[in-house]
Parts: sequence; structure tokens; C-alpha cells
Amino acid sequence: MSLEVREDRREAGLLVSPVGRIDSNTSGELERVLLARAAEPRLVVDLSGVEYVSSAGLRVFLMLARKVKAAGGRLALCSLPASVKQVFDLAGFTTLFTVEPSVEQALQRVSS
Amino acid sequence: MAAETITAEASPAGVSGIAAAFDRFSHRHAVPSRVTEAGQVALDEVLSNIVKAGFEPGSAGRIDVSFELAGPVLEIVVGYNGAPFDPLARKDPDTRASLDDRAVGGLGIYLVKKLMDEVVYERVGGDNRLRMTKRIDR
Repeated sequence: MSLEVREDRREAGLLVSPVGRIDSNTSGELERVLLARAAEPRLVVDLSGVEYVSSAGLRVFLMLARKVKAAGGRLALCSLPASVKQVFDLAGFTTLFTVEPSVEQALQRVSS
Repeated sequence: MAAETITAEASPAGVSGIAAAFDRFSHRHAVPSRVTEAGQVALDEVLSNIVKAGFEPGSAGRIDVSFELAGPVLEIVVGYNGAPFDPLARKDPDTRASLDDRAVGGLGIYLVKKLMDEVVYERVGGDNRLRMTKRIDR
């Protein structure tokens, strides 16, 4: 039922990887970690370990995108599992974000 | 046919317990993961809305949820005591607005409508009831 958020500082940028489910119970933890990293100039969020995302999680990603934009940083999401991709597509969120198929491509995207 | 009913209090802990029960139900009856994930999102949206909407002070919020697998159809029914409220009546959000104009309000119930095949609201006695179905074979 829980969510773990891993962080890995790479040369190309900061890689944050939430692992678990992002729902009304866990989105607060994601918000706490992600929004504290919104000033990173190059940020990649790897969603490969996410089981599903509900609108509580979408809200966090929306806030993150706005904060990163305001701070002048670059943000990319990557490796969306099918169910996560479906929710992003239905919500019209895919067009609001830079979405890449792999961590490497996302890191390249934010650092180029 | 397989069916299971769970009653929980309208609180984050209650919502967690229902999510765990749905996980076990899906696993036990080999519900495909894409259907389980859609059901989990739908449950989280509906249940968190109920918890957020709140109940009269002093009256304990109670949520009854049943899961049923009848042939190729998964049915999730969420019932709760409270003032009549049809969440489906809400206007769909603008999913094409720009980053700055984007609102999250209404997105949850919109996802429920899109992820499930059919969603019906009923008022039964003093309870609100939301009945959601999804075929597991397509």
C-alpha cells in the first residue's frame, strides 16, 4: 500500500523514481519529495516502478510541472507503464509533459 | 460467480483497507492486471471523494463496497450513508487546457467514467450507491 521514492544523482540531472502506487493515501509523500526538488535545473521522474496513478497523483505532477517551469528548470517523465500511460492520456496530461520511453533518453532530453 | 463485501469507515485507513481487499479479490480470481489497475484507480477516486466530502459531525461515515465477478464482468459497488449526491452529474474537466489553466477538480470522476465500461449512480434508502462495471475479456 505504500510508496517509496528513490533518488539518484546522475551527471545529466537528478533522477527520481517513485515505486509503488500513487493514490490518495500516498500522493502526500510524493508531493513532499518531488516539490522539494522542483528547483533542480534538470529533473527526470522515472515511473517504471509505479503500479497505478490516480488523480491525487496527477495533481502532484501538475504542481511539479508548474514549479519547475517557474524556476526555469527542465523536467521529463519516462518509462510509463501501460496503466499509468492510459491515465495520463485520458487526463490529457501526456501533452503537458515531456515523456520519454527510457531513463537514458529522458536524461539526454533534459541535458541537451 | 465470486463475490465479496467489505464495510469500512470513511477515513484514509478505511480506503487503504478497501484497496487491499480489492487486491486480494483480484489476485484470487485472476482478474487481468489492466482491469485491476483500472479498478484500483476508480476505487481511489470514488472513495477519496467520499472521505473528503465528509460527514455530519458526530455521525460516523460508513462505506460498503462489494466486488463481484460474474462471467466476464467485474462489478464494483460503493455505497455510503450521507446526503444525496450524484458525482456523475459533474461537468467533465477540460483535458486540453494549457499547463497554467489546467484544473484537477473533476478529473477523478472523469477518469472513473473513462476507465470503467459503465458507471451508474443510485439513491437507495438513505444511501448513495455507485455501481461500476468493466468487462475483463477485452
